[in-house]
Amino acid sequence: MATHDPVLQVEDLATYYYLGDRELKAVDGVSFSIDAKRTLGLAGESGCGKTTTAYSLMRILAENGKITRGSINLGGIELTTLSEEEMRKLRWKKASIVFQYAMNAFNPVLRIGRQIVEVIREKGDYSKEEAVNIVSELFDEVGLKPERQTDYPHEFSGGMLQRAIIAQALACDPQLIIADEPVTALDVIVQNKILDLLRKLQEKYNLAVLFITHDLSVVAENCHDVGIMYAGNLVEVGNVEAVFKRSLHPYSYKLIGAFPSVVGPKKRLEFIPGTPPNLMNLPKGCRFHPRCPFATAKCATDVPEFREIHDGHFAKCHYAGELDLGGGA
Amino acid sequence: MSTGKSTSAWRYIGQRVVQTIIIWFIIITLNFIIFRVMPGDPRQALIGEGLSPELRISVIERFGLDKPMIEQYWLYLVNLFRGDLGYSFSHFGEPVIETIFAFRFMNTFVLMGAALVLSIIIGMAVGVFAAAKRDTIVDTGSTVTFLIAYALPVFWIGILILYYMGFLWDLLPIAGTITRGYNHVNIIDYIFDYTHHMIGPLIVLTLSFIGGFYLIMRDTVLDVFTQDYILAARAKGLKERTILYGHAMRNAMLPMVSVIAVNMPYLISGAMMTEYVFSWSGLGLLTYNAVLSVDYPVLQGVFLFLATIAVLSNFAADILYLYLDPRIRY
Repeated sequence: MATHDPVLQVEDLATYYYLGDRELKAVDGVSFSIDAKRTLGLAGESGCGKTTTAYSLMRILAENGKITRGSINLGGIELTTLSEEEMRKLRWKKASIVFQYAMNAFNPVLRIGRQIVEVIREKGDYSKEEAVNIVSELFDEVGLKPERQTDYPHEFSGGMLQRAIIAQALACDPQLIIADEPVTALDVIVQNKILDLLRKLQEKYNLAVLFITHDLSVVAENCHDVGIMYAGNLVEVGNVEAVFKRSLHPYSYKLIGAFPSVVGPKKRLEFIPGTPPNLMNLPKGCRFHPRCPFATAKCATDVPEFREIHDGHFAKCHYAGELDLGGGA
Repeated sequence: MSTGKSTSAWRYIGQRVVQTIIIWFIIITLNFIIFRVMPGDPRQALIGEGLSPELRISVIERFGLDKPMIEQYWLYLVNLFRGDLGYSFSHFGEPVIETIFAFRFMNTFVLMGAALVLSIIIGMAVGVFAAAKRDTIVDTGSTVTFLIAYALPVFWIGILILYYMGFLWDLLPIAGTITRGYNHVNIIDYIFDYTHHMIGPLIVLTLSFIGGFYLIMRDTVLDVFTQDYILAARAKGLKERTILYGHAMRNAMLPMVSVIAVNMPYLISGAMMTEYVFSWSGLGLLTYNAVLSVDYPVLQGVFLFLATIAVLSNFAADILYLYLDPRIRY
């Protein structure tokens, strides 16, 4: 790989929510980067901070959410220091989102085409006819009939809506697409079609994709790299092959072990005892230590560093690379 | 595709028209029956004790009250379609249609129209604003203020306004719609005088209406703000104004349409209490006096008119929904 700047570079990002005077550390010290044409899958249990990370990138957090630390560099622009108005102008132009529930992501009382035309005209200098033509091309690209753009959202099926959402995400020629559980609400057949479409478009438009999901099998099939999140921390990042086969963090190892494999011998699924911690009352030291079978006294007091163990393979564990996780290199 | 859609919309409108006509017929029939089964004899009020039996019979015959019920109903229907609602007992035999429409309807329509428009505009504007600033002093302050205004009895505020602004400070006229015995120089002078008389009842009515509109607007906007498509609109980097008026407002308008439609009959009936306190000669005051003087033809006419307005405004709301919310297809 030639040395070049990644499309997205996130350094030590921390986003907290404030509930009264209490602090909820939804995302705490997350670092990763994505190159053009690459897909990073962000996986983890519900409430581990995946979506908050995504919303932090777009700076569309709820009013009580704040980026308290870190840097987000998107295509050479530092997003955390921009004014709200500067940020508003960048949204969708540099990065766009494919939402999980397409049905709810479109305004139910406005025609789908109009909602895409609206953002095209907001972000670029286009006449209405030009914008409508762009929507027609986009619809064609994602496998929808261009004349359907005058339909309302409720007149589309789930799969068609997801295609329309993807067309909308491409509308302003972004560098990064954040796909927030884009196929979770769809059946498996449609899932595959949508994922194929995303891959095809990524190649064609040189997109960097941040793929958020809790479904590790989707990550395994669709992403180049994977990041595993636990309780607001990114505990492990690396390419899919390395993370799945040679997990460095006990949580990743356990999480991967908790997924059934379609091929290979049937075996009893493993589970991780305990529950994720309360984000308002986090354990000291490593956040995973109360559930970790390898925890030592050090884990309960010292916060592990997020460090590179192998080339491009990072983990946040005191004993990363030393533990025998049985993955078998 | 689009032709298919519009045909189904027209079919829906057609169905609603038929339904509306049927409902209206049921209502005018009930309106006929109610006045025949009510206790008390209207003839008594009309004729009085001192009349000779011959005169009494001739009056009864003249009003058709000796005919069989079914024939009376037929006459009622026929006359209704000729615009004949009978003659008022208490207004010296004046045709009811004139009693209602000569000037009282306009008085009520202007007053209530102004009060509704004012309270809808203020209620919606402040409601959206409070929702945008929820849980701040602005939000809590306006909610408390409007709830208190909503809960206060209208006759009490009316009397306070009359006493202070009318009597003590001499800012407003005490009663009526125009100054009695004053010859207006021109139409502008007349409008000015009329508006001056309207201020008192307008304040009372606006205060009592505003709370409802405000609360509904605030709650729907809050609800709409939590919807995914608002987050999507923010993610798309649309202007705050576009999000509020292009995306949130239209969705928030949907419940407002129902509430306004339900409030339409008020526009006509007027607030009886307010009209009474301010001696505003409108339909509310007319109804009040008709009840006191057992003027059945007038009551029947007013009820009929109100029911018609209620049915029509509900029909209009349904049609408006069809335009505002594309998901509605029956």
